[in-house]
Amino acid sequence: MLKGELGRNYTDGEIIFREGEKGEVMYAIQSGKVKITRVTSSGETTIATLQPGDIFGEMALFDRLPRSANAVALGDARVLSIDKKKLFTTINRDPTLVFKILEAMSHRIRSLNEELAKLRDAKAKVVKVCPDMKATCGMILDQAKEFVKAENGSLMLLDDREKKLVIMAAFGSDRVEKAHLSEGYGIAGDVLKTGMAELINCVSSDRRFVRSPIEIGSMLCIPLKCDQHIQGVINMSHSSENHFSLEDLSIMNSLAFYASLALQNAKNFASLRKATDGVLIHATLLNEYAAEVD
Amino acid sequence: MGLHKGNTAQYELRDGSKIAVLGGGPTGSFFSIFALKMAKMMGKEINVTIYEPKDFTKDGPGGCNRCGGIISELLLQTIAVEGITLPDRVVRKGIHSYKLHTNHGTVFIATPAFEKTIATVYRGGGPKGMAGGETESFDNFLLSRAAAEGAIHVPLRIERVESRGKPVLFSQNKEVMEADLVAGCFGVNSTTGKIFEEMGIGYKQPSTSTAAIAELAMTEEAITECFGNSIHLFLIPDKDIKFAAMIPKGQFVTLCILGEDLSPSIVREFLERTLVKSVLPSSYSIECSCLPRMNSGAARRPFADRVVICGDAGSTRLFKDGLGGAYLMGKAAAKAAVFQGVGEADFRREYYPVYKSIIYDNLYGSFLYAVIGQYRRWKYLTKAMIEVVRKEQRDTDNTEKILSNILWDMFTGNERYKNVFLKSLKVRMHIDMWEGLFKSLLRRDDAER
Ligand SMILES: Cc1cc2nc3c(=O)[nH]c(=O)nc-3n(C[C@H](O)[C@H](O)[C@H](O)COP(=O)(O)OP(=O)(O)OC[C@H]3O[C@@H](n4cnc5c(N)ncnc54)[C@H](O)[C@@H]3O)c2cc1C
Repeated sequence: MLKGELGRNYTDGEIIFREGEKGEVMYAIQSGKVKITRVTSSGETTIATLQPGDIFGEMALFDRLPRSANAVALGDARVLSIDKKKLFTTINRDPTLVFKILEAMSHRIRSLNEELAKLRDAKAKVVKVCPDMKATCGMILDQAKEFVKAENGSLMLLDDREKKLVIMAAFGSDRVEKAHLSEGYGIAGDVLKTGMAELINCVSSDRRFVRSPIEIGSMLCIPLKCDQHIQGVINMSHSSENHFSLEDLSIMNSLAFYASLALQNAKNFASLRKATDGVLIHATLLNEYAAEVD
Repeated sequence: MGLHKGNTAQYELRDGSKIAVLGGGPTGSFFSIFALKMAKMMGKEINVTIYEPKDFTKDGPGGCNRCGGIISELLLQTIAVEGITLPDRVVRKGIHSYKLHTNHGTVFIATPAFEKTIATVYRGGGPKGMAGGETESFDNFLLSRAAAEGAIHVPLRIERVESRGKPVLFSQNKEVMEADLVAGCFGVNSTTGKIFEEMGIGYKQPSTSTAAIAELAMTEEAITECFGNSIHLFLIPDKDIKFAAMIPKGQFVTLCILGEDLSPSIVREFLERTLVKSVLPSSYSIECSCLPRMNSGAARRPFADRVVICGDAGSTRLFKDGLGGAYLMGKAAAKAAVFQGVGEADFRREYYPVYKSIIYDNLYGSFLYAVIGQYRRWKYLTKAMIEVVRKEQRDTDNTEKILSNILWDMFTGNERYKNVFLKSLKVRMHIDMWEGLFKSLLRRDDAER
């Protein structure tokens, strides 16, 4: 067996650097994966997931500002640190050394631009005040279909009174599934409880998986959260295993953010309409009553 | 060739230009990787052919460009930034420390947090019987990277280069290519340098000395116990040996002896020393040994129109980090060819400054080795040095650790010799050294009394 040798070992979840820290070194991944995360008001968001050969932590070296995000080992990871002083001395002698760093940065900016454009578009469509909850859910799922390639998909909302997940919109085989899942039941139920998005590469070996006639190899399950309140989940699935990537997970997470806002809007709108309807009915009744009295 | 002066359009590389690289060792591969990468950036499609007769997947001497196989921290970090990370299958051991043995004590110098920042590798398939399995040699890894960038590897030895306006290459008495540029990356362990001397471009091969390498086979447990993740260095008062290193690699330890023209018996003589025996396990065997040539001075006129010579065949870092030198020169020559051109004037402007900087730096290196030579020779200086390093290592508040850093940088090739020299001028270190010397002399007096 080959033992990984170079660099320093980090175990799953171990922090390599924290947001706000001073950056004196950058890193190259020897083996394993590293996720770059930021804590926002709605919880921790993964900005990027990096692979062996990728470099990270270079931003703080160049802009001399504190670290803009956290770097956390995703599974066991081995990382080689690159000293700032030595790096700059070498760059001074051979400026072409920054070509690769520039290439990595351009890559990152390009994919961020793409994501931003997609999200702007999604936001424009989804965050419109839409009075109809079902129509809003349909719109969100359509958008999700554009972001990731999936054979089946559904958006389920939590029925607060009955404590059940109800399918509000679906495509593929999920359309025929009329299941109402109890909270905490199956993968979706678990995601609803934990509030953590999940990418499941091999569904059949996941013990939470509830057998169904539909053939599912891999799936994404994303919670719809608004102000820490979890309203429901989006499921996207495919018949083959390992179909979805970490990038899919990341973009779906971003979409879920806007989707939750849209759903909240729709909910607010619906209750507002209920309230106005109530007031109107009352007013009409009062009117009629007044007319009768007259 | 050698006739045209100044940069003219005829020396610019264009789509379809052909580069012949003589030698697929580290220099040839680094040159090819960067030439192809940079040409792509410039939107040029060039053809790079690497002529290399050795098969670096083969075990035994046939597949091996003999060396200690230490990849310095600086080189590892630099190539990682270039996007070349050494995969686990190439790294035989990660190194986090050096143990310096002298007749008057041993000191241990480690990286902060014991991060393994240095790699040990095999240049070929390793000692006989080791080929196959999950491992890969460093030279094969780099050659594959060059091939992945688009270089073609031709397993031929080039026997003659003729100048007919453009260089024409011959192998087995057949013309194999007319090239727009020949990059000579043939090292110092063949007769190829003569081919270039005979071209009449003014090239003169570098001076060399003989070094000794041996592979010591022992169990992995013995290596873990006796060597761990440290390279063991020996500074002993011997007029032939400058220093020796034992470099752990899986089931073997590579012994490297550097000095002036060593004889074949040097390995056995060295292994018989009490100090050396105290480091080795009781049972081990010498699997193979060789006496490779080592570059010990720079070649004259390493470039002409359409010819550039780099790596060991030109100049390299004195005693240390030859592979770092291969990277520096291979890249500098590629940069000159792609961004400037392949004329003599282009190489003079873009390549020669890097070449010269290595030569100048080696002057500082020679001086530092001369000083270390004195320390090695004079018992009380050796003792004082050990004393100071020990004190620095004990003192956790002392972040400077000047002498420890100097020795680390010298032996790991982590820093240019000039910078090591500048560090050695720090007053603090000299005060410590005098104090150390004073103490060891006092102890002598006590002992004598
Ligand atoms: C004892 C010793 C220990 C060393 N230890 C280290 C160390 O630990 N770390 C370090 O960084 N450096 C070390 N070095 C230095 C290092 O080995 C060299 O600097 C490095 O190998 C230079 O690479 P190169 O590609 O220029 O030459 P080489 O590695 O010699 O490669 C030259 C290649 O050219 C090929 N070739 C030659 N002639 C022809 C031809 N006519 N046609 C086609 N191909 C040809 C050869 O087959 C060979 O593959 C050591 C050197 C010695 C002698």
